[in-house]
Amino acid sequence: MKTIIKFTVISLVMAAMFISCDKKDSGDTTKPVINLIEPEEGDVLLIGSDVHFEMELSDDEMLHSYKVEIHNNFDGHSHETKADSEDTVDFSFDRSWDVSGKKNADIHHHEIIIPENATPGDYHLTVFCTDAAGNESHVVINIELSHEGEAHDHDE
Amino acid sequence: MHTGYIPAVFILLWAVLPVHAQEADSMKVIQLEGVTVSASYEKRIVREAALPTDVANARFLREHFTGNLIQALEHLPGIHAMDIGSGFSKPAIRGMGFNRIIVAENGIKQEGQQWGADHGLEMDAFNTERVVVRKGPASLLYGSDAMGGAIEIVPLPPPADDQVSGEAVLLGKSVNGTLGASVMAGVKKGNRYTRFRYTEQHFGDYRIPADTIVYLTQRLPVYGRRLKNTAGLERDVSFHTESRKGRYSSRYAASNAYQKTGFFPGAHGIPDASRLTGDGDSRNTELPYSAVNHLKASMHHRYMRDRLAGYWDAGFQSNYREERSLFHTHYGNQPVPVKDPDKELVFLLNTYSSTAKIKLTGLPGWEHTAGWDVQYQQNRIAGYSFLLPEYDRFTTGLYWLASWRAEEKFSVSGGVRYDCGYINIRGYTDAYLEAWLDERGYGDEAMERYKWRSYPVKRQSGDFSGSLGIVWHPGDAHLVKVNAGRSFRLPGANELASNGVHHGTFRHEQGDPSLSSEQGWQLDASYAFEGGRVVFSVSPFVSWFENYIYLKPTGEWSVLPHAGQIYRYTETEAVFAGGEITCGIDLFHGLNYTFIGEYVYTANPAERIPLSFSPPASMRNTLAWEGKGMRAYVELQRIAAQHRVARNEDPTPGASLLHAGASVHIPSGRTRVECTLSIHNVFNTKYYNHLSFYRKVEIPEPGRNFQVLIKIPFKSKIK
Repeated sequence: MKTIIKFTVISLVMAAMFISCDKKDSGDTTKPVINLIEPEEGDVLLIGSDVHFEMELSDDEMLHSYKVEIHNNFDGHSHETKADSEDTVDFSFDRSWDVSGKKNADIHHHEIIIPENATPGDYHLTVFCTDAAGNESHVVINIELSHEGEAHDHDE
Repeated sequence: MHTGYIPAVFILLWAVLPVHAQEADSMKVIQLEGVTVSASYEKRIVREAALPTDVANARFLREHFTGNLIQALEHLPGIHAMDIGSGFSKPAIRGMGFNRIIVAENGIKQEGQQWGADHGLEMDAFNTERVVVRKGPASLLYGSDAMGGAIEIVPLPPPADDQVSGEAVLLGKSVNGTLGASVMAGVKKGNRYTRFRYTEQHFGDYRIPADTIVYLTQRLPVYGRRLKNTAGLERDVSFHTESRKGRYSSRYAASNAYQKTGFFPGAHGIPDASRLTGDGDSRNTELPYSAVNHLKASMHHRYMRDRLAGYWDAGFQSNYREERSLFHTHYGNQPVPVKDPDKELVFLLNTYSSTAKIKLTGLPGWEHTAGWDVQYQQNRIAGYSFLLPEYDRFTTGLYWLASWRAEEKFSVSGGVRYDCGYINIRGYTDAYLEAWLDERGYGDEAMERYKWRSYPVKRQSGDFSGSLGIVWHPGDAHLVKVNAGRSFRLPGANELASNGVHHGTFRHEQGDPSLSSEQGWQLDASYAFEGGRVVFSVSPFVSWFENYIYLKPTGEWSVLPHAGQIYRYTETEAVFAGGEITCGIDLFHGLNYTFIGEYVYTANPAERIPLSFSPPASMRNTLAWEGKGMRAYVELQRIAAQHRVARNEDPTPGASLLHAGASVHIPSGRTRVECTLSIHNVFNTKYYNHLSFYRKVEIPEPGRNFQVLIKIPFKSKIK
């Protein structure tokens, strides 16, 4: 019986040792936070003008970079091929900016320009943001490109 | 830091082992009379294996039956189901899943698309009567891929008497309106037993206890609390015949499993509320959906002569998977295919396998087994989209196992194995992607980096695996096992060659052709006590991997449409540790209480973060009553919150769930009909499975489910 008790003790000690490995992980798994202020969900953006882009980024440790991507959503979602009409081009945008070395960043720029020949219609705008460790967050909003649009204006 | 004392534990163990071996010897004299030879199959398997091993017998599988094998096995400590909706699951053992564990049926390793998060196990749950689960490094037995363990589906021995027998089983579930039926008929005459089974299950959209889900930061409605287009069906046929002639016996088996199931449109492609409106039919499967057909044929031969036994198993499997979805592309220049415009992805994986072994018994106390395994695999693809490249893979392994037994009480077993493999992965470039990149003015360098959806890779690699363990069985009540093993895994085609946005995870996943094979050291121990009214077991484990392959976020933005940063398959050091505790007490008047608790700790020490898909700690408290052909139980399942997550994996809150059920045997004519009613998630609690494919879309697990299972056996003797 002694041996059995001994063995039980050993296995319990082993179990305890394994569990004691469970130190607080100190690696960063917290995602950065994106607070997109402009444009907003459902905004109509004017073709031929720049986009008023404004957001706040923050991270518990260190930000790294952010990226803005815009692509069309013409057929309502399934990304089917659409024959381009002669005179307009489906707008697409993909660009990243460096925000490394900061914990918080207030972004405000007009660097996204919608060319005159952009095809009007529904688009998706996605903002991706990473922190120094590779944690990533993103925000997707629906926007519309229009010749008559003004931000916050849904008249057609 | 972690790794510092893991080798120390190994050393400690090796130092401790011989001491106890001696004590075992000195004890056997006293307890010799207590040795029983007539151990059941389960007990024998459990006692002989140095690895922690569980056997799910026919009764266990029936009591936990849901129409999905893995969900039944989840009731074993250390096993988890990675669910894909309500009907399909893939297994995980102690936090390892995908290509790191294997499932084998009739000695043949099941080969489907197990690397993928949305691919379930293609097997008929009605056709499994006995399952052996090996937790820990099983590479020695199965070669590459079995590093985390093995699930073996083993046929029951044929009935002893000449007879015609069979069963009809009916299954109904309320959560998704499942209607299922399975019929089996078998004939045993003389030395031959032949058996046939047909199973069909139809199910509708499944119910979840939630009105909205969140997908890509957008809140989407769930109309009628049913997940649209998750309906589907399963149709399985199997045939098996075995015979015995003197010293020779053989078994031939063939089966076909077909599954068709819809994808929730909100979790496939870019979200849009308009696609989620109910279509008034909860039992239809529209686009997008997947259909899988798994055909398998295998044979088993055995020849026994004196001290020698020879075995040969060979099999062919054809796994065909197609995913259909309305044509969509990210590149405006890609035309709609003329033929089969909805065929998004097709994989045809053909596998040929052979395993041969010779067993030598009879030397006093010794048993030797030598074996040779060969497997050849071919993956072919089609469809307008791309996910996994075409490849050919050849692997072969030689092994030798030996065990030495002293008087049933103590045994040492171990072995070594060498495997080598060759994989030839075809490169794949996408002309539409090239044109798309060109149109956007990306230069040659970017073009070279992105145009490959799959790199051409030819790789040859080989590795050793081995293990050494003891089983000490001092009398009937106690069983002690310790096993140390080294296992390895050859990297998969996706890990070596992929380069592009994965349509299920929305991540740009990039393979690395220079990855070496994954290698790990694993140490397992278990102690079981079985005496009188009490059973108790504890089984701790720890594993250390020199180069565990995982998807690491790189912080580099991908230029591909809809992609965030690039995730690259990267090698890192990894630690897994944890264990299971079970305890059962027979109280009084047929009342029994069982406790099962399990915990897995994972770590990526270099990054000081956990690994992804770490199962949360969980426990089950079950109170069961049995008597007079009846059985009833209530179970309280507690799942802890999982905050230990990898980067870009969401923590999952915990949950407490109550399940209950009862079964009764009703004598009817010459048979006894077995009826089981069970209620899963009695309070319709909204909870998440951290390992579920739908977890990242924040789709909760199915809600309350009433299940009825009726089993009608029949038997008629042949004179």
